[in-house]
Amino acid sequence: MKVVMKAAVAAGLALGASQAFAQETVKVGALYPFSGGLALLGDESFRGLELAIEERNAAGGLNGKKIELVKGDAVDPNQAVGEARRLTSVEKVPVIFGTYSSSLSLAASQVAELAGIPYFELGAISDPITERGFKYVCRTNPTSKDFANRMVDSIIEAVAPGLNADPKSLKIGIIHEDSLYGQTVSGFQQARAKEKSLNVVETLPYSAKSVDLTPVILRLKSAGADVVLQTSYQNDTVLFFRQMKDQGFKPKAVIGAGGGYSTRDTAQAVGTENIEGALNVDFPQYRTNPQAAPGIDEFVKKYQAKYGTAPRSGHSLTNYMGANVFLDAMAAAKDLKGDAIKEAVMKVDIPVGRTATGWGVKFNENCQNTRVSPFLMQWQGGELVTVFPAEAAVAKMKTGIGTN
Amino acid sequence: MDVLVQLLINGIMLGSMYAIISVGLTLIFGIVRVVNFAHGEFLMVGMYAVYLLGAYWGLNPYVSAVPVIILLFALGSLVQRFIIQPLLGADEHIQIFATVGLSTALVNLALLVFGADLYSLTVPSARQAVSVGDYTMLTGQIFMLACAVILVAGLHFFMQTTALGRAIRATAQNRNAALLMGVRVDRIYVITFGLGAACVGLASALLMPLYPVTPTIGTYFVLTAFVVVVLGGMRSIYGAFVGAMIIGIVDSLSGYYIAPDLKEVVYFAIFILILIFKPTGLFGFGRGTE
Repeated sequence: MKVVMKAAVAAGLALGASQAFAQETVKVGALYPFSGGLALLGDESFRGLELAIEERNAAGGLNGKKIELVKGDAVDPNQAVGEARRLTSVEKVPVIFGTYSSSLSLAASQVAELAGIPYFELGAISDPITERGFKYVCRTNPTSKDFANRMVDSIIEAVAPGLNADPKSLKIGIIHEDSLYGQTVSGFQQARAKEKSLNVVETLPYSAKSVDLTPVILRLKSAGADVVLQTSYQNDTVLFFRQMKDQGFKPKAVIGAGGGYSTRDTAQAVGTENIEGALNVDFPQYRTNPQAAPGIDEFVKKYQAKYGTAPRSGHSLTNYMGANVFLDAMAAAKDLKGDAIKEAVMKVDIPVGRTATGWGVKFNENCQNTRVSPFLMQWQGGELVTVFPAEAAVAKMKTGIGTN
Repeated sequence: MDVLVQLLINGIMLGSMYAIISVGLTLIFGIVRVVNFAHGEFLMVGMYAVYLLGAYWGLNPYVSAVPVIILLFALGSLVQRFIIQPLLGADEHIQIFATVGLSTALVNLALLVFGADLYSLTVPSARQAVSVGDYTMLTGQIFMLACAVILVAGLHFFMQTTALGRAIRATAQNRNAALLMGVRVDRIYVITFGLGAACVGLASALLMPLYPVTPTIGTYFVLTAFVVVVLGGMRSIYGAFVGAMIIGIVDSLSGYYIAPDLKEVVYFAIFILILIFKPTGLFGFGRGTE
């Protein structure tokens, strides 16, 4: 009997202690593809969030409470929905961060919206994510429309001055792979080019599984395209650069929409001497001027210390920046209910050039950050360096493609 | 005019690439009568083998061709012996499921081992541009065309003149009659499947200098190869060659004159028309043999 009593007292004490402990923590959901085909960049994205939360915990947590990450593995849209349900109803997290992939974000954010839980998108670029009239879905990163606009504007603001040419005199070829990604970005490009009355001479969709892009290249060559805008994955980027060289097509500038243009594998497969000078619009990468992106160097150092390697792509930085914005908003909110957090998020007002990505923050009525824009980068000497806008640039833009 | 000639050259080069892959598929699909959905994955396995030999032993892909052809012959024979053969008596659908399963397994194995990134070999000798007048082609492409011609001629010679070739043709014409005439049909199937896979081994050595390899590279080529085989009349090696050239040229011309994203539409339209007017394919053996 005595033993039982003792055990009961001990259990009661333990229960009390754990309750006391529980009051000291705030759970937040982290929904990313941690396994499957998207896992590499999904995990890279998550590392940015993880570093932001560790940093905050080291500095005393969220208003004195320790933040605890609860991971959800979203391999595909179905599982994204399942994991979002688990996070909202079983784990009862007050907010979810995610997601890297647009299709996963579109699916999971519906669950969060219904549950009245804020869904913070830090990396997916599909425009409709914040255009569905949802109340609790907010996004810090730029959308595919921002990518397309930056690509077209780069012709006017960077390429034409570099060539000492009138932007309207340049012949522009738009080529893109024909899935949703390529269709969306190229659609926005055409609209922007029309708005700026630029001369688009060819718009050519092609299958990303194509084994021969010479017809595309010969069309561009026949049309005398000076500037080529390409929205592509990895294989078709490699094929385009290789066959462009084979067919002797030398445009004055080629601008990619991130994707296949951003990875080192592409540069190696194409050959650094052949990709030299290729322009690329993407999330900020690490060769960015720290004056315009305060904290970027510290982030790289912390990343290196924790994971033992240099960041694998700019995704971690983008997620780190977004996570900090929303964590600040949560700290400022009067409680951790959806409406209070949303109210605090809408009050965020950070001028451009004051975050680690160089972006500012101001949310519009859709809760989409409006002070964002992807940067223009260029492959130079086997490195992707930021060349535009001028305040973020670490190198001067060159014209032409290839070293010979 | 200039562009047209260049497009024709590109089309022939593309056609010779399809030819080598399709000849292998003709042997498997036309003779062994197995719809081999793993054909593209054989190509992927071959290309990774060529890559590894090149990256770790510094072998030129054209030298790697020899061990890779042997490797693929072995792979093909083993697949026939241990996966297809036990299912020969079963429903055709079961065989299809077996090859689809094999295909999925190989893709995921490659994802596990190599990841989703692409690997490429730098072979400057194969990427040298050769100019004839205003027209350009690559040394690797010319080599591919030469190999395609030699392969088709060689296989034709082998089929027509050797005892084994005759046995293969006999088996293709009528399996039961061949069996009654003392042909060891099971062995013929194993050898033919191996030969079909070996052609893919050759193709992978020739493709590696031109295309980077990824786990899904096979899917880029395999659907076209099926079209070529049916277009050529299922069992005809010549037919596969001619079919491949037609598809290559149509691909190149329609990509330029119509639209790059509609080229599949054009060659599938031609494919359907040929099937309507000549259901046994261009070089088919007439009705009743299918």
